[in-house]
Amino acid sequence: MSKPKKNKHGESKSSKLTRRTMLKMGAAAGAVTILGPTILTSRKSTVYAQGTVAEPVLCAPTPVPQSPPHTPFVDDLPIPTPAIPQFLSPAPTEAANIGGGEAARDPHQRWAEFTPAVTYQLELKAGTHQFHRDYLPSYIWGFNGKYPGPTILNAYGVPSLVRFKNSLPTSTTSFGTNTSTIHLHNGHTASESDGFAGDFFAPPLFKDNHYANAYAGIDDFGGFPKGDPREAQFTMWYHDHMMHETANNNYLGLNGVYLLYNDKCPPWEFSSPGSIRLPAYYGVTDIPLFLGFKRFCATDTVNGRTEMFQVVGGAAPATDKFTVNGKIQPKLSVRRRKYRFRLINSGVVLNWNFSLHGPDGVQKTMTVIASDGNLLRTPADVSATSTPNTIEVHVASRMDVVIDFSQFTTGQSVYLVENTQTPQFVSTPTPPDPAPGIPIGKVVMRFDVIGDTIIPDTPPIPATLTDLPPIPAQQPGGPFEWGFRFIPGQADGNNFRVSHSSIPEDNASHVATFLPFDPGRVDHVVLRGSTEEWIIRNDTLAGNWLHPVHIHLEEGRILERTICTVPSATGCNPANRAPVAMPPWEDGTNARRDVYPVPGQHRLKVRLAFRDFHGRYLIHCHNMNHEDAFMMVRWDVVESMAELRKRREEINAERIARGLTPLYRKEHLG
Amino acid sequence: MQRRKFFTNLASDKPERQVPAPVQGVPHVGSPGPAVFTNALLRTQDNKAVRFYDDLIRGKQVLINMMYATCEGACPIVTANLVKVYDSLKDRMGKDLFMYSITVKPEEDDPAALKNFAQMHRALRPGWTFLTGDPYDLETIRYRLFAMNHIAIDTNIYSHTSFLMIINDATNRWLHVDPQASLHTVLWNISLADPPKTREQILEENRKLQERIDKERKMFGYRMTL
Repeated sequence: MSKPKKNKHGESKSSKLTRRTMLKMGAAAGAVTILGPTILTSRKSTVYAQGTVAEPVLCAPTPVPQSPPHTPFVDDLPIPTPAIPQFLSPAPTEAANIGGGEAARDPHQRWAEFTPAVTYQLELKAGTHQFHRDYLPSYIWGFNGKYPGPTILNAYGVPSLVRFKNSLPTSTTSFGTNTSTIHLHNGHTASESDGFAGDFFAPPLFKDNHYANAYAGIDDFGGFPKGDPREAQFTMWYHDHMMHETANNNYLGLNGVYLLYNDKCPPWEFSSPGSIRLPAYYGVTDIPLFLGFKRFCATDTVNGRTEMFQVVGGAAPATDKFTVNGKIQPKLSVRRRKYRFRLINSGVVLNWNFSLHGPDGVQKTMTVIASDGNLLRTPADVSATSTPNTIEVHVASRMDVVIDFSQFTTGQSVYLVENTQTPQFVSTPTPPDPAPGIPIGKVVMRFDVIGDTIIPDTPPIPATLTDLPPIPAQQPGGPFEWGFRFIPGQADGNNFRVSHSSIPEDNASHVATFLPFDPGRVDHVVLRGSTEEWIIRNDTLAGNWLHPVHIHLEEGRILERTICTVPSATGCNPANRAPVAMPPWEDGTNARRDVYPVPGQHRLKVRLAFRDFHGRYLIHCHNMNHEDAFMMVRWDVVESMAELRKRREEINAERIARGLTPLYRKEHLG
Repeated sequence: MQRRKFFTNLASDKPERQVPAPVQGVPHVGSPGPAVFTNALLRTQDNKAVRFYDDLIRGKQVLINMMYATCEGACPIVTANLVKVYDSLKDRMGKDLFMYSITVKPEEDDPAALKNFAQMHRALRPGWTFLTGDPYDLETIRYRLFAMNHIAIDTNIYSHTSFLMIINDATNRWLHVDPQASLHTVLWNISLADPPKTREQILEENRKLQERIDKERKMFGYRMTL
């Protein structure tokens, strides 16, 4: 098959290598190995074989199994291991290194400006993970075969590059899809490294994602690190964004934590210039709580596994176990001081609603310091008397909280409680309540206060954590409105759709634009360096039907949240729109967000700036079953006014051709 | 004639499975088999009896959608798009790729109604089968193949008509796409369930994709398609 003619693409040496040299060169030479034609023809199966983890034997889809019982609070909370930087071979390049086995992509933007100083390799592969002491290991897909993946610890001003090597099995009995694309949620990342849903790649390719680790506003702000320091984000996560299959791949474990530090939030607690001195030692006083929902098949001692329940071909299943950092109901020993916990909802479909309870069952105080990885201007206490008195963490959303355990005495236990989902199944009969009025099934994890602190406590949380950048201005011509709708029982089957219109509260122009996600179709084009107001609206009548909407590339500021007091599936009469109070971690004057939870009949006004990078980005519902059911839209950032006008006119023309009103009016065309 | 031969084959089983006597419901290697698909006895638009797993799925690459003959919403558009998909892949259809349209309203859609619908949409083609059967069986198949694990969606018979399931039973690959997406996207998704490619094929496809990206960038200044 492979003739030496391939050599004109730059790998003339490879055919001269012997197998022995190849083996000596080891895994790093994989890319060269790929192209060694003589090797491939003779030893294809050996070279192609990936991993040794046996594929799972899934349990029957019906009846839906109840997960095996577990003993609460026996496993210690694991801390995801930090990723270790390593040199990459072949070295990363600006344009895709096709000859070396890299997936096709656009050249990296701002490559010379942000030459990667730290590089990592994370390998997507099958592995096993034990979710609880009482369970046998489960088959998972993870970065480096681990769940959660290694935590990447980076700093602003130090550009990084992560090589994602796809070594997923070429055939699997699990419900995963072995092509993947990885999104850093919500990095200020150039399109070609942003994990665009259509940019997936198959094994054995790799893909280099370039993270500038610069603040948004690179074009307008000089300094070091580049960009507007008020745009700093700290808690992020990376995850599979494979189009139509995101839920399955994430449920299998393709996700992990990515943290950034700067002088305001350095990875240490002692006094240093600019530091606001929050608890900061990773894994010691600054702990990610990576949250998941799972369900398991009956433990099978024959094949030595407790497999996660999956229905091949199905969406992510309904779940009955809560996991934190990959463990069911873990415990964590803490000392009497402040801790920072980074609550990360890794999905795949459910939202969390937390409160903290002492051994007496009484609700205790947590302080929210950041939402979606962005520091709040003013931190907010959440206690029995606050409004709201619980913290909602929607899919993909992050909430950083500080808990001061000095309010407890040594020997006491403290419980993190989930308030809205169906309580998890623990065992039969249900164990007694660990604290008065706290059912065991609602407890996510337990903190055991084991003594006074050894590392000195951090000072009180400052009253003001950060300045916020000014709220971006509205564009001429008025806002654009995105409709996120599920309409049960709609006879045309168009259930999960995003519509787009420039006529707010209009119905006709919305319904008519309902189209499924198509990575080749652009529904909106914006100019790099411009600001816009986007309205996110959900007209669903039935149930709550909350859509956690996520916008790539930029953080947004929520100006207003309203509800339609006279529910209407076809657009609200503006007279019936009533404002809804926003919690301090949502209000645009106090917070920046990248996940916008929109329940039925709600409407959010969001202001965004589009800076520094061009290319293809997404707005989608982050309920992963919904985004897989096509509730996602591509929008593009372009570089010049002429290009903006041209491409907006193209969208208008395409709409007119479909018999619709054009999206852009004269003012929108500049 | 070809079509007749095809259906006869289906109904009477392939020769190699006739001797010894065919065993029902044996899963293909790596496939969950009837445990997921069921092996329900269905009827085609020609009123031939077929076993869902044995005759239609086992070891094959298939495209499955749900429809009903009187549907005036998505179904006609979807069917029209599937005709385009069929045309683009007609060299494979009935050979290593099969298309099944299953009714969600078996009470209304008898084989004759399905045949009528197929004829109306120019969809009566070799390798494309319209199926009806016992409502309980079809409901089970709908749940097994299309479930969103959401009660409000799944209990609604219309909810699944905008999905095209792409299944390769031989490799246990399951994907789905909205058949109302562009033809290019639908074909691209179908290709993801094709039999596993060799390393050389993947690298060659990757190289071609890069060429296309470079070409688009040159022509338009940005990436227009995928």
